[in-house]
Amino acid sequence: MAFTIKVEGLTELISKMDKAPKNAEKVAAKALYEGAGVMADAVSQAVQGIATEPFKYASRGKTRKPSPEEKALVASAKHGVAKFRKNGMSVNTSVGFQNAGYGQIGNKTKPIPLIANAINSGTSFMQKQPFIRKAFSQKKGAAEAAIEAGILKYEDELEIG
Amino acid sequence: MLENYNALVAALKTLQQEEDPAAEDPVMVTLPMAEDEWYTRPEAVSYGTVRLDFEADALRGDDRKHAIAWEGSVDLFSLVRSGAGWVELITETLTEHCDGAWTLNSHTYERETGLFHWEWAFQIEG
Repeated sequence: MAFTIKVEGLTELISKMDKAPKNAEKVAAKALYEGAGVMADAVSQAVQGIATEPFKYASRGKTRKPSPEEKALVASAKHGVAKFRKNGMSVNTSVGFQNAGYGQIGNKTKPIPLIANAINSGTSFMQKQPFIRKAFSQKKGAAEAAIEAGILKYEDELEIG
Repeated sequence: MLENYNALVAALKTLQQEEDPAAEDPVMVTLPMAEDEWYTRPEAVSYGTVRLDFEADALRGDDRKHAIAWEGSVDLFSLVRSGAGWVELITETLTEHCDGAWTLNSHTYERETGLFHWEWAFQIEG
């Protein structure tokens, strides 16, 4: 799941960064990390709010909630900020469960990203609980502020050509 | 606004199309929508669900509590890969009611059930 944050009103700084291609990406990445951290924390917190019920196979015509074991796998999984990707002057990343690996439920091994996606987007037999999208929407403003603060914080590190 | 969200839900619930346009006497069929926020699902080749994720004042995390928009999602489950025409009808309805503020969030295939799953996320301005 990806989202885009646009920081506006920094024309002067962007102009300054245009003159400093050597380390502008590094500064941008540091600032982005601040914002991504806000999102990762929000997702971690949102996982705790997932409603569960003891595991049962979804009965005919009904959907079910995730089991406590499924929630525990998602909560304990390695998740957070993905490796940064460069695209010209821009840097982007993702927050989620891309490299969360596998978990054991009973005698079955299941990929944790799929469990997280099934809870977040729902399936024909599991109730939808969009905890990731909710966290992103709620913290978008805070993440934008963190990125802006990060740019100002690391502005001095820019090497003006 | 909540009224606009309710109008969207009502429009989605009444979506219909001709079952077989080539037939001499085509039958109009509606898209069955699951009720009670995902606790039941109809037995049908294709069915949809619609959900409001959270209230508008939760959209901003900066404590301004300013109503900006309503967010939610629409899901379509279909045994037919093409969505049997419902994909086009749903996107047209979203465009009409959400002023273009929607996106196809995911399109997946459930191996367990053989169902194709489309998920759209939308916003309705407050």
